[in-house]
Amino acid sequence: MKSLFKLLSALLIVVFALTACGAPATPEKVVETVKETVTVKETQIVEVQVPAEKTVVRLSGWASSPSETALLESLLYKFSVENPDILVKYEPITGDYKQALLTSIAGGVEPDIYYVDIFWWLELATNDALLPLDDLMAASGVKKDEFIPALVEAFTYNGKLYGIAKDFNTLGMFYNKDLFDKAGLAYPTDDWTWTELKEAAAKLTDLSDPNKPVYGFCTPPDPGRFPAFVFQNGGTVMTPDFKDTTLDSEAAIGAAEFYTSFRAEKIGAMPSDLGEGWQGTLFGKGQCAMVYEGGWLIPYLRDQFPGTKYGVVMPPAGPKGEGNLIFTVAWGISANTKNPEAAWKVVQFLTSEASQKTVLESGFALPSRKSLQNSDYLKNNPNSAAIFNGSFNGAQPFFWGAVGSDVNDQMGKALERIFKENQPVADAMKQAAEAVRKALK
Amino acid sequence: MAASGNARKVSEAITGYLFISPWLILFTIFSLISLGYAVYLSFTSYNLLKPPQFIGLESYRRVLEEDLFLQKALPNTFKYVLIVVPIQTILSLVLAFAMDQKLRFRRFFRTIFYLPSVTSSVVISLIFIWIFAPQGIFNQIMGLSVNWLDDPRTAFYVIMGMNIFTTSGTLMLIFLAGLQDISPSIYEAAQIDGANGPQTFFYITIPMLRPVIFFVVTVGVIGCFQVFDQIFVMTAGGPLDSTTTITYLIYKWAFRDTTIKMGQASALAVILTLIILGVTILQRRIIEGSGSSAER
Repeated sequence: MKSLFKLLSALLIVVFALTACGAPATPEKVVETVKETVTVKETQIVEVQVPAEKTVVRLSGWASSPSETALLESLLYKFSVENPDILVKYEPITGDYKQALLTSIAGGVEPDIYYVDIFWWLELATNDALLPLDDLMAASGVKKDEFIPALVEAFTYNGKLYGIAKDFNTLGMFYNKDLFDKAGLAYPTDDWTWTELKEAAAKLTDLSDPNKPVYGFCTPPDPGRFPAFVFQNGGTVMTPDFKDTTLDSEAAIGAAEFYTSFRAEKIGAMPSDLGEGWQGTLFGKGQCAMVYEGGWLIPYLRDQFPGTKYGVVMPPAGPKGEGNLIFTVAWGISANTKNPEAAWKVVQFLTSEASQKTVLESGFALPSRKSLQNSDYLKNNPNSAAIFNGSFNGAQPFFWGAVGSDVNDQMGKALERIFKENQPVADAMKQAAEAVRKALK
Repeated sequence: MAASGNARKVSEAITGYLFISPWLILFTIFSLISLGYAVYLSFTSYNLLKPPQFIGLESYRRVLEEDLFLQKALPNTFKYVLIVVPIQTILSLVLAFAMDQKLRFRRFFRTIFYLPSVTSSVVISLIFIWIFAPQGIFNQIMGLSVNWLDDPRTAFYVIMGMNIFTTSGTLMLIFLAGLQDISPSIYEAAQIDGANGPQTFFYITIPMLRPVIFFVVTVGVIGCFQVFDQIFVMTAGGPLDSTTTITYLIYKWAFRDTTIKMGQASALAVILTLIILGVTILQRRIIEGSGSSAER
């Protein structure tokens, strides 16, 4: 009896150990012959052989919204109809995408195709995790100049292209039409400069109601907004080779002075001053009359604040012209994929003009193909057009090299120190630059 | 006879190991191996994309030169321990003492005090975010307009307060068990000798509770050195690094930075382990030195 019990426990443990260490699936070419038995009248059995050779390609990305996921799934369905020999397995990652992706690469089980963000893709390319796409592109006749130049440049390293932008965003200046009407101001145009921005912010600010103050222009201590002002002031964040920072240059300090002056003069505010984490919400509530945001604000306003009347123009030009940031995500192909051709076919399909048009018309994102600039959709949606056209006007990728997260941290902290601790602007920027240099070592 | 006795012993040992094997296997896979691997990684440079490269003590040198560690994470962590541990220990002792009296509704109060401890720390963090929002209930009641979690001067204290609030319940329960372990005859003897309430508390209750106090303080110190989830949810180390602790810094280096620094993060994890080990030994020395009842 006792030994039986022992045997059972041992068995249990073996089973447990086996299930715990099951090897994860790896992408591979599956060749199988499916035999189908079909019963016909009078129990006559006929054997039919169906050859099924399917190349399995795994595709991964983050799932930002259910409707966006549905859109991708419908595109993939279309692909599967056109390419019955390729089976695309869509494996969305919820939660921390980059962390999940990097650990899957470390474990050698990464998907064949995955989203790469402009902010950190280079880290993957320099470590040979991404496949250069030039040869595959040439073989299938896709030309780089079919895409928006800034987006091609954004994913190029050592002359090779490592990702095809699936969509992108730039910053636009969103303005609240009701507040402009109330202040008796003409709506902004694409020709605005810093001077007009400042004047309008002063006139739009209305602090008479302490429970609902209205500020002209909101200035979050956000490294995803501030650099646009640096570019408009003729500066940069990093040197062209990303070996050094230029945050302590005169242009950057000047931009920081301008950016922080709104709050100092009480015609601007940080979102946290008004009890919100994001200025998009405050714009919807009518507490920020003007904000710099990307195209993502458009569906948000449609869902959350359908009553807000607003327009979008390109960010006002600074003393040295126009400047903007490009946020983009590309389809990258793993360097370890066993089926580069099949993977490329999928990417090619997803970035084809037909697919991109579907994406554009769904209103989620802006497509990366140049030819869609003249599409009817953009003609009928001037707000989206302003964001799309921003990519042609002094826009630079949201990318600061190998220490990007440190650069972002330091820019954010410099602005926070100016806002919260009244640190002099030049000191704050110099301190940020020093910290970045230390991280670069 | 002796042989069969030996066989019996062996078979008993096997049975014993079989019984603990579910835990042992999980512990080996998810703790022991990971722990050993982390120690190995601390001597390497590893970015998850290329295999780890052995660089000796370089990672440790980098950690010890890092301003974010020396000026923020290290002092913040010690500040956290020094403020939270005494307050939560004293508070839970007082609560336990009160709950040990014959109060009305004492079961109800015990449940109420213990409730925060069984609630997920993420949920409590979110509740505290709303309570301490600029338009939150705390500001409304107190008539203030402080942006608690966005101000470098206040954010850390809010997190400390929350941690005291959540852990006091568990510690109260441990103290309560300790209090009920003290034999009533000792109290009776003290009463006959004419000791009053405070005297009984300081000269009977506290000394008798010494082993429990040691346990509570040790668990508290270790827990406080490892504070992470509340900070992750509430402030992400900000504003201006005022809430960056050692564990948050480990997370930041290992997963948040553009260039992953797994080696440096592992080195810091080892350093944290050594700090906790050192502090715990020191603590034991102190408590043992001031009395003999620390040994059970």
